[in-house]
Amino acid sequence: MDSTDSADEPSFPSGRSLVIALVALAGLTVVSWGAAQLALGAAGTPVALGIAATKAGVVAVAFMELLRASTLARVIALVTVGFIALLCAGTVGDVAFR
Amino acid sequence: MKPEEIYADRRARTHALHLGMWIFLGSETLLFAGLFGLYSAYRAQFPADFATAVGHNDATIGTINTLVLIVSSFFVAWSIHALRGGHRRMCIASLVTAMALGASFLGLKTIEYSHHFAEGIAPGAQYTSTELPEAGARTFFTLYYAMTGLHALHVIAGLAILGWLATRVRRRRTTTERHVELELGGLYWHLIDVVWIFLWPLLYLTG
Repeated sequence: MDSTDSADEPSFPSGRSLVIALVALAGLTVVSWGAAQLALGAAGTPVALGIAATKAGVVAVAFMELLRASTLARVIALVTVGFIALLCAGTVGDVAFR
Repeated sequence: MKPEEIYADRRARTHALHLGMWIFLGSETLLFAGLFGLYSAYRAQFPADFATAVGHNDATIGTINTLVLIVSSFFVAWSIHALRGGHRRMCIASLVTAMALGASFLGLKTIEYSHHFAEGIAPGAQYTSTELPEAGARTFFTLYYAMTGLHALHVIAGLAILGWLATRVRRRRTTTERHVELELGGLYWHLIDVVWIFLWPLLYLTG
């Protein structure tokens, strides 16, 4: 196989796991839409972004096979997420506490 | 020099290609990160105007488009699953379905853009909306066009890649035994999905 399939690596995702991921993503989308209909006030945006982050995690693990990727690839993904969080927190902090 | 000339071992080549793709995806994500950073800053500066502008967007179209991209992402993952199992035709059908869904996404986006332009909601100096005259709303919609426009360009590029991959599978150049390009193309399409997963609440739900 072109894509490595040695015994020391996690196996490819099964069709069942892909379907479960799809159902989970659709369910989380409905939850996110439902939460937006509630008057959550200042908590609305963090809740929506939290659900979005969960969905992104499902896509990364189930569809992008991040757990099968090399350690370095996983580090790249984590560092990217960290940089984005740092950038957004820095800009909001700058405006909020100016 | 071609990758196969550098790496004698196919497994090492596959790992190198995947690593290179993840680095590329990281740089693509940071491209969007600049816009997310700008959005965060202006939202902190104009919280009320942004909330009003978000509420003006058509959440139904945005939600349908979210589901459309999620399902398309599933079909891309399924195409890889199918080819690994030796199901070539199912792989092609999954890729074509994903492309149809991607095209539907762009179609709905075009409808949404046309509604906005009819209301005078255009980017930058072209903004003439009398319903939302606030400076914050103008800024929101300029960012909206920048973020969704950049994302749409990625969808168009992704559609071209999926079409190229479907052709390769049909011509048996991408096979059960050699399909790393299908995995890499799939990663690109999933990133497009992930970016939209964050754009949707910021632009449609958090009003």
